[in-house]
Amino acid sequence: MSAAVTIAWRLLRGGGRRGLIGAGLTLAAVAVSTAFLMFTVAVNVAFEHRADREAWRNPVPADAARAVAVQGVRRDFFQGRMITVAEVAALRPGVAPPPGAARFPAPGEAWLSPALAALVRETPPDRLGGRFPNVAGTLAGETLVHPGELVAVLGRAPDDPALAPGRGGDGVAPTPVADFTGRHGADAVAYQSLALVAGVLMVVPLLVFSGAAARLTVARRDQRLAALRLVGATPGQVVGMTVVEAILLALAGAVAGVAGYLAMTPLLARITVAGGTWFVADLWPGVLITFGVLLAVPLLVGASAVLGLRRVVVSPLGVARRETPPGMRVLRVVAFLAVVGAFPVLGRGNAGVVVVAVALALPFLAVNLVGPWVVALIGRVMAGTARRPAWLLAGRRLVDDPRSAWRTVGGVALTGFVAGFVGLLSPSAGLLGDAPADRLRLGVPAAQAATVQAGAERRLRAAGVPARVTVTGTGDRRLVEVTPEPAATPGSTGGSPREGSPEVLERARTALDGLVPGRGASTPAEDDLPGMLLLGDIRTGTVVVLAVSLLVATTSAGITAASSVLDRRQTYALLRLAGTPLSVLDRARRSETLVPLVVMGGGSVATGMFCALPFVYAGLNVTGVLALGVCVVGGFAGVVGAGALSSPLLRSVTANPGPRPD
Amino acid sequence: MTEGVVLEGRGLVKRFGRTVALDGVDLAVRGGEAVAIMGPSGSGKSTLLHCLAGIMRPDAGEVTLLGRRVDGMRERERSALRRSRFGFVFQFGQLLPELPAEENVALPLMLGGVPRARAVQQARTWFGPLGLGGMEGQRPGELSGGQAQRVAIARALVTGPSVVFADEPTGALDQATGHDTMHTLVTAAAHNGASLVVVTHDPQVARWCHRVVEVRDGRLLPGHTPSPEFSGGGAR
Ligand SMILES: Nc1ncnc2c1ncn2[C@@H]1O[C@H](COP(=O)(O)OP(=O)(O)OP(=O)(O)O)[C@@H](O)[C@H]1O
Ligand SMILES: [Mg+2]
Repeated sequence: MSAAVTIAWRLLRGGGRRGLIGAGLTLAAVAVSTAFLMFTVAVNVAFEHRADREAWRNPVPADAARAVAVQGVRRDFFQGRMITVAEVAALRPGVAPPPGAARFPAPGEAWLSPALAALVRETPPDRLGGRFPNVAGTLAGETLVHPGELVAVLGRAPDDPALAPGRGGDGVAPTPVADFTGRHGADAVAYQSLALVAGVLMVVPLLVFSGAAARLTVARRDQRLAALRLVGATPGQVVGMTVVEAILLALAGAVAGVAGYLAMTPLLARITVAGGTWFVADLWPGVLITFGVLLAVPLLVGASAVLGLRRVVVSPLGVARRETPPGMRVLRVVAFLAVVGAFPVLGRGNAGVVVVAVALALPFLAVNLVGPWVVALIGRVMAGTARRPAWLLAGRRLVDDPRSAWRTVGGVALTGFVAGFVGLLSPSAGLLGDAPADRLRLGVPAAQAATVQAGAERRLRAAGVPARVTVTGTGDRRLVEVTPEPAATPGSTGGSPREGSPEVLERARTALDGLVPGRGASTPAEDDLPGMLLLGDIRTGTVVVLAVSLLVATTSAGITAASSVLDRRQTYALLRLAGTPLSVLDRARRSETLVPLVVMGGGSVATGMFCALPFVYAGLNVTGVLALGVCVVGGFAGVVGAGALSSPLLRSVTANPGPRPD
Repeated sequence: MTEGVVLEGRGLVKRFGRTVALDGVDLAVRGGEAVAIMGPSGSGKSTLLHCLAGIMRPDAGEVTLLGRRVDGMRERERSALRRSRFGFVFQFGQLLPELPAEENVALPLMLGGVPRARAVQQARTWFGPLGLGGMEGQRPGELSGGQAQRVAIARALVTGPSVVFADEPTGALDQATGHDTMHTLVTAAAHNGASLVVVTHDPQVARWCHRVVEVRDGRLLPGHTPSPEFSGGGAR
């Protein structure tokens, strides 16, 4: 083994400048894919962290004998931002406080999250502070979903009407609890599921990419290794050397990738999801997972290297003589059609998220399976119909090595699948309509409507807020609606806020606070806020997934383009010596990428859209189609750009008139 | 006086850093003439060939093809010249592995604008005479080393070049196959009226050439430049 290490190191060092370029490309590829892999895993862990911290707000009911406290949770709002209000009452002395509070809040006390405390300080009390007259302390971060979250924990007496059993309304009805552990809320689970789906969509291209990086090492070496085989090295030695080299490179790349990811976390933490940014610590997936990634990536790369080497090892002449590659089996197409055909069946119904995630990965792999086969087919058509040399070269090359061509365009094509999928899926903002934000509503039982209306009018008058109070609705629940009115006194001084403005709305809301126990007034727009947030987050997720896939795809296209130039430098150099214009070689390289890209990219987008069909509830939407368009254009530009980047490499590699075997 | 001279290099000097690869070489090649360049390793044979073929620009001296200056041309023109007037046979690795043999041969024609069908048809006519009958559709990986070099010879000659350059074309072959291949090269070039400049280590090869020049430390050895108009110019 140590001999293999030594020889591998020599090979790496002795490869010369071009060998080092190749090694550098592999290292960069592994680093990029490791960084994104860390990101993908960390995102899922981060949502888990959020869900854990938030769990206490979804109390598990305890029977009367074991209950030590009562807890209710409701929503309040301030200028369109949500405030989570938890009301707690201790049923006996010495109860452990809710998370984040230093002690159990006494009745009437308010413990505020740092962001809410700051907001209260900065805002005139009649708009916000009046709702929390007795602030006793600041909540620690361990109870917050995100750093800027607005949370208030209010202490109540056990017999406070706000905690009366069976009070209706939003949030969590007052619940007797034995402790403040709780369980993951429905929203948190929804986010975790979406993160899982996004993770699957990103992981598959990443794995394909890592595999490509490994093959790149092998491609760089296969000539030399075949020579070693011819000289008489045993298969074990050959495999050992290459695998050791690949693993060492991959390990270095993985470490660089983890470091790069960690360096990026402060930036990534600024991505807003569910109404807030992230604690940087949330994006640290933990020592165990990090080591797992550091272990898995080199192993994966090593395994890929072994697979890539099989041909050299099986026959020493395998690579040296470049035999006709085995034909791509029709089996691949059959498997592809079977998977895609089965997809709508799997996706229908209320299948679990994991099932959906797996079902999602399948057609993804199917596209990858059928890719090389279709590329070879495209090549045959191109070569058969070619009239110009560049087209002929491109076609023959596709037929000769469809897998390597697929490696160049596959990433982008798979992104096309993602784009097609989420392009159809991501819902548009207009789905929920545009609810008014200029009036407050309070839902009350019909019997109390008149009392609440009178109380509201009295409180608003006392607070000096001009507003019209009406009651709407039928049946046993009514809505008391409060519409702040335009200024009755036009001559009022410039210092006072204009009537009908958000400030007045907040003054009205603060005046109404506590009028109906356990329930705050909200505008119709605010009632839609959680849904809107989720929709916005799905869009954010779509953009992130597409951006990551696109970046990975483009990087991989660039790396494979460069490595294909390196692999064929001798032939290219000799062709150039014999007077073949570089423009012909460049055009051939471009066509061998672009033609399959157009066909496969288009096919993938279509496949993705087809697979998304069973999930589409709301029809097409502009954002999704736009994202799709951006993705298509970006992928195209990316691959063309990446190919163009290796043109100087082609120039320099072929400029040396004495082509050496290396 | 230069009647019959197709390609001519005069006072060629080429340096790589402190290495002087060519130190004032004069060489003239006549129409249909086969010239063998010999000499020890590192003496400058390949460099001389590259300068004559317009692959490299000499630091001093001039190269003319049928009276036209080659060394002053821009890369694009030299590239076109190599494509149309010169043919090349290298040691190995010059055939595109994914192209069938006949398309490898047809490629220079297609680059010159000949339609594909006619180019391939024309390429096929070379296979029989070179002993490659039936191998038109094989790919380079499926050919033996000698067969691949014959395909390369066909490719070098298919455009009807004025001069064929060959740098150790048999260096990767065993001796018998090498002689065989070299013989094919010399006779095919002669048959097509092309001059031949071939770098070789094999003294036997000289037998098939009209003339042998010997390079030592970047100079032609005296007495090996029989063209009267340049006599004495080889060792300035
Ligand atoms: N691209 C280059 N860069 C630097 N030095 C070079 C380059 N090409 C050739 N040389 C040097 O120029 C000298 C002549 O090289 P050349 O390749 O012409 O030798 P040669 O006679 O063809 O040798 P061989 O028989 O081994 O092929 C050598 O000393 C070589 O090291
Ligand atoms: Mg040489």
